Amino acid sequence: MSIPTHSLQTRFLRKEYPGTVALDDVSVSFLGGKIHALIGKNGAGKSTLVKIIAGATQPTRGFILVDGLEVSLSSPRDALERGIVAVHQELSLVPELTVAENILLGRLPKKHGLGNAVIDWRLVFDRAEQILADLGIHLDVREKASTLGIAQQQVVEIAKAMSYEPSILILDEPTSALAQHETERLFDVLKRLKTRDVVLLYITHRLQELHEIADTVTVLRNGALVGTIGIDQATPAAIVQMMFGEVVQRSKPVDLIAPTEAFIEVRSLSRAGAFQDVNFNISKGEVLGIAGLLGSGRTELLRAMFGADPPDSGELIIAGHHVRPTSPEQMKELGVAMTPENRKDQGLVQLLSTRINLCMSSFNRIASHGFLTRAREERLVERNVRELDIKVARTDAPIAFLSGGNQQKVVIGKWLNTNPRLVLLDEPTRGIDVQAKQQMFQIIWEMSKRGISCVVVSSELEELLDICHRILIMRAGRIVSDVRPSELSLENLFAACMKEEA
Amino acid sequence: MNTQSKIQSLFTNGILEIILVLLCVVLAVTASGFLTAENLLNVLRNVSMQGVIAFGMTMVIISGEIDLSVGSAVAFSACLTAFLTQKLSAEWASLPITLAIAIAIIFALIIGFFLGVFTGFMRTRYQVPSFITTLALMTGLSGAAELITNGFPLTPFPSWYNFIGGGYIFGIPFPALLFLLTFIILQFLMNYTTFGRSVYAVGGNAEAARLSGINVSRVKMMVLGITAFLAALSGIMVSSEIMSGTATTAKGWELDVIAAVIIGGTSLMGGVGRIWGTMVGVVFLGVLMNGMTLLNVSEYWQHVVRGVIILVAVLLNLLQKEKTRR
Repeated sequence: MSIPTHSLQTRFLRKEYPGTVALDDVSVSFLGGKIHALIGKNGAGKSTLVKIIAGATQPTRGFILVDGLEVSLSSPRDALERGIVAVHQELSLVPELTVAENILLGRLPKKHGLGNAVIDWRLVFDRAEQILADLGIHLDVREKASTLGIAQQQVVEIAKAMSYEPSILILDEPTSALAQHETERLFDVLKRLKTRDVVLLYITHRLQELHEIADTVTVLRNGALVGTIGIDQATPAAIVQMMFGEVVQRSKPVDLIAPTEAFIEVRSLSRAGAFQDVNFNISKGEVLGIAGLLGSGRTELLRAMFGADPPDSGELIIAGHHVRPTSPEQMKELGVAMTPENRKDQGLVQLLSTRINLCMSSFNRIASHGFLTRAREERLVERNVRELDIKVARTDAPIAFLSGGNQQKVVIGKWLNTNPRLVLLDEPTRGIDVQAKQQMFQIIWEMSKRGISCVVVSSELEELLDICHRILIMRAGRIVSDVRPSELSLENLFAACMKEEA
Repeated sequence: MNTQSKIQSLFTNGILEIILVLLCVVLAVTASGFLTAENLLNVLRNVSMQGVIAFGMTMVIISGEIDLSVGSAVAFSACLTAFLTQKLSAEWASLPITLAIAIAIIFALIIGFFLGVFTGFMRTRYQVPSFITTLALMTGLSGAAELITNGFPLTPFPSWYNFIGGGYIFGIPFPALLFLLTFIILQFLMNYTTFGRSVYAVGGNAEAARLSGINVSRVKMMVLGITAFLAALSGIMVSSEIMSGTATTAKGWELDVIAAVIIGGTSLMGGVGRIWGTMVGVVFLGVLMNGMTLLNVSEYWQHVVRGVIILVAVLLNLLQKEKTRR
């Protein structure tokens, strides 16, 4: 093994945004020829760190050393010149161009003479083929990018990155959209890169991948570096401990009613490619959690129950009605509500006011004989603002001005106004601050006390332990177990979700 | 609110209204014959036939769609009304002329409505952009109008028919009354009904609206249907004004109508707009054209000025939005 020559170090990196510290004095070193996994919960500071290294944003304080020399990275172009290339989660290939053009985009070789304006196609294809061959990839460089599968596109992205001959390559969740066998192919490429003394920074949510690919594991929590450990020390217990810290169990209110009889039943619900044969019951006033990793089918299940993406087969039994969900409109009539995962784009109309957003699902209830008046709307909106403690200066100003937590309250308020039986909450606490999270829990418990059943999907497993009566664990599109939070530690829950797909 | 911020808010929210008033003042001074009841009623009559469509178009654009076929729809419905009147009163049956006209009008309005619904259906069922469907309808309806008239104006109407497009009630032109009535109904529809509020939601974010349990397809089919209905109504007024069904009328109206809507502050991106804004936009363009005609500005210059106005109006709207965002 040769002595590594490339390295990346950060010194006391700090990034402040108005009101929060996204990165708190992070000093860490990465060496060439190794794959360094970077992990942490949402909001732990991973993406901020990556953005700073890639030159997309500047630190408030601190600096970066590349190969032992301090560098100033004031733009992505600067970073590129220092040999730092990032492959982002969203693919950015031009679908109608060939693989070769995509790899060499913006740097297509030209023929000499003729004002250097004519593309030398032979050279384009040769060079692209060479780059792919170096990575051990067999692809027709003349094919259009749009004909490739996602894994192949991901590989082309990496080839494109490698065409810059980087000394530091950052991969932001490259496997999040890949199937198992595709992931393995990608790993083969990455292992080959290791032999070239490249510093590989690998960000992932899939903890089960770590042992397959990583050499070291670096953990961030709340913007601070928790530590770096070698892969041989990275047991699931150690990782959970590092990611979550000492978990303080918040206690549920004692007067939460104990759910009793089955109230809503889900019967053999299936949707091809998402989940199969899902069965469970929900009691009146029950708070039911669904735990599972990204891609386990949890969001798809909620959307199917709400009719947003109708299931292929199966049914719901609600208050004696047997129904196959077909549209949100139909499910709304039956008293089902959903707050979507992507609150900003799917939960709200950002252009419109808080008032209209709050009334949007219940125009028919507010109206008398189809006619709405502002007074009728305002009466309701006032009550929502009071009961949910929405911090809003003027309810007729566009909702885009509200903070994430307040926007989430509006989404919930919108559905409370339909007087629902069952509320499906997809990632209700994503991207909102700690205090707003606590309020969100209160709101969920309050709904439970009023007899509204809730199904909560969250990547924040410790939250599910805190707020739910019962948790279903989902893996690869199936419900694999049904547990009570009191019977389970966070560690066990995590392990249950992570277990290899057989 | 103190006086200063009141004035400020008037400027940011009512800039077009202020410009319209200023324009009227200037014209009152410079153009002789502008500030007479007769001329002003004339302006109102001139704008009303395009104006009724503009209110519908406002809803269509707010909902995130577009209708390019309204000009052809006007010609088509004018010809269809004339054609049916002729056939029903003479060739297929010998109904009394009044009854024949009544049937023809009702039929033209219904056909118009369903042409719009068809566009909405293509949009929501097969994801054909309304731009494409209405572009096809624009050509198709224009051809259909030529076909049923055989290329010559049809003139089956008795003289009293001229009332719809040219008559007066208490000194006010009848088309202007229809224009005002349409304004009142759609203003009410958009602001005080569940349907109207849904239009804003659908145009602002169709996916969020769908996930709120709003029937997006129905909303789109309805707004396009209402607009095509209003285009048919406009066609009936036109056929009455010129006392014939002529296939070449109303060429290019779609652009005038869209221009008025945009000047009135409606965003082509959807989700934003007001019926009142369109009212101001329509009147503004009407007054401007009338004033320039009174001042003997050549027609070519009128076109140039109108082009500039469209651009400036949109620019003002965008600048204003940027300001409020800060």
